Amino acid sequence: MSDNHRTDSDILLDIRGLKTYFHLDEGTVRAVDGVDFTVPRGTTIGIVGESGCGKSVTAFSILQLVERPGRIEEGSIVLNTGGQNRVDIAALEHDSEELRQIRGKDIAMIFQEPMTSLSMMYTVGFQMAEAIRLHMDVSKEEARDRAIEMLQAVGIPRPEQRFDAYPFELSGGMRQRVMIAMALSCDPMLLIADEPTTALDVTTQAQILELMQRLQEEFGMAIMLITHDLGVVAEMCSEVVVMYLGEVVEQADVDTIFHNPQHPYTQALLESIPRLGHSHEGRLNPILGSVPDPYHRPSGCPFHPRCTQVITGRCETVHPEISQLDPRHTVRCLLHEEPHG
Amino acid sequence: MADTAAASGKAPLLKVEDLRKHFPIRQGFFGRVVAQVRAVDGVTFDVYPGETMAVVGESGCGKTTAGRCLVRAFEPTGGSIVYRNRNGQEVALDSLDNKELKPVRRELRMIFQDPFSSLNPRMTVMDIIGDPLKVHRIASGSELEDRVADMLLRVGLRPEYMRRYPHAFSGGQRQRIGIAKALILSPQLVVADEAVSALDVSVQAQILNLLQDLQAEFNLTYVFIAHDLSVVEYIANRVSVMYVGKLVEKAATDELYHNPKHPYTEALLSAVPRPDPRERSQRIVLEGDVPDPAHPPSGCYFHPRCRYAQDVCATETPELRPIGEGHEVACHLAEDLDLRGITDLVPRD
Repeated sequence: MSDNHRTDSDILLDIRGLKTYFHLDEGTVRAVDGVDFTVPRGTTIGIVGESGCGKSVTAFSILQLVERPGRIEEGSIVLNTGGQNRVDIAALEHDSEELRQIRGKDIAMIFQEPMTSLSMMYTVGFQMAEAIRLHMDVSKEEARDRAIEMLQAVGIPRPEQRFDAYPFELSGGMRQRVMIAMALSCDPMLLIADEPTTALDVTTQAQILELMQRLQEEFGMAIMLITHDLGVVAEMCSEVVVMYLGEVVEQADVDTIFHNPQHPYTQALLESIPRLGHSHEGRLNPILGSVPDPYHRPSGCPFHPRCTQVITGRCETVHPEISQLDPRHTVRCLLHEEPHG
Repeated sequence: MADTAAASGKAPLLKVEDLRKHFPIRQGFFGRVVAQVRAVDGVTFDVYPGETMAVVGESGCGKTTAGRCLVRAFEPTGGSIVYRNRNGQEVALDSLDNKELKPVRRELRMIFQDPFSSLNPRMTVMDIIGDPLKVHRIASGSELEDRVADMLLRVGLRPEYMRRYPHAFSGGQRQRIGIAKALILSPQLVVADEAVSALDVSVQAQILNLLQDLQAEFNLTYVFIAHDLSVVEYIANRVSVMYVGKLVEKAATDELYHNPKHPYTEALLSAVPRPDPRERSQRIVLEGDVPDPAHPPSGCYFHPRCRYAQDVCATETPELRPIGEGHEVACHLAEDLDLRGITDLVPRD
């Protein structure tokens, strides 16, 4: 999408001020701490950051799948299913019928390790047909046909036979295809993919990424791709949200993130990765230290202890606000804040 | 750089010839052997002192099994592994028994992938790192403590932490502990099996830099087993590509990345996602999965997935053969194919 003037109806999901906390004996972990972003219809948005930055908890919050002691404390997650049909998912009861209709139907999710999300006690086909019959008013035979059609769509050879296979009979790549087939069988508007290719080999990863791109063209759903792999983001996404310790630190279109990043964390992430064909440029530039332990969140800007551009005396005390650099580029850093006198 | 090491005529530190490791598949009441999984099936390579030799391939290609045979964590089924020890004597690792192996084990160490499961959660860091010193009766008491403290400093951890347990450390710090444990006996050769794969990108860079610093400091030789080709390009001098238990290509890193001669190498290189949206590459997407090593295809194992395959590929198994300076490939069509290296896939700036 090249337009800078998105109308309201182009926005599928609008997350405002989302806070998800975990109340543990040792203290409260602010896993997601005031996250705002929007997912436009039919596009792929990437959520990146190191482990522990809150990207997966954000995704789980969208479907209200955060388990106790975690809880959504504040914020709204508005899903616009078309026309004036808006639902604030964060306000729904976690066991309500309405929420169950959204899970799997409007918003589907796939996970990193398909073996843990498929039941090994049932055949692939049984699990797929069950999901289809839950959301669509179809007979058993129709559900079976739909499941086989989806297995075919994700490139599984001999889908009629695979329908009766158990998950352990399939390879890792095949299982991830089954997960995708299952997720897409009810024609969702948003597919949340949490590290979908991290457990796979590069060649299998290439197959799955290609498949997701093709299916997006075919089905027109939006994809929220959660990953730590900047290569995958560059290949797949049109917009990128960079997270650090539960906050969005920078958000922009993919080209800006990779060629004109403004937050020191985004810049540091990009400099730390080895790139093919660039090995002669000497040593890698790692980010100093590691992600702080969640109970000891740094004061001020949470990135300041690892930041190379820290403004001494300011970054330790002042928590930066979001600055709008241009209509589609926001950054949360004191370097970009207007001085307030 | 070690293509230079090979060229300068240095004697190899490790000579691996026709290494094979087969795992029997047993079935039935009497446990009759019905088939063999040929995890490593005739692998030959040399490792020169001071270099980093990478072994790459998809999961199930046998790279980890090969690595474990090198340190004799597995008993090879066949072939020979000749290691030149610190005194310059050649030792045939494949035929030694456990007692004879013990002195050699001090010089051959391993770093594992998962910093969470490879450290004993009930041992303090000092016990974990100091354990090899005790086992080999090298140091004990306060001397052991001093050596552990010194090692911790070198891998970038604070010696004050040595009474803590592994759970108190982050993934990157645990990997540093694993490295300290491997290096405490001042080994000659370190086999690093996916040493940075489980780490976050920023920490991965720290560990890669650390491995390079330690290599220079202690004059280490690495066998670096990995699947991430961008990491391998950065750290390795030479690369061996494995597919279903066999080496399909072997060359100096630059040569392999810019001038691959095996279609499998070409596909692997093209599949690496580039961290730049302006370089969205033309991926070569391989169909299907890695074949089952118990029932490999006929001829060239790669032919069912190869887009250049011809009739000969289905019938005759290609041998690894030299086709240039330090470049070997197992492909019937190596001379006729014009394969794309990383620079052809991506415009260089």
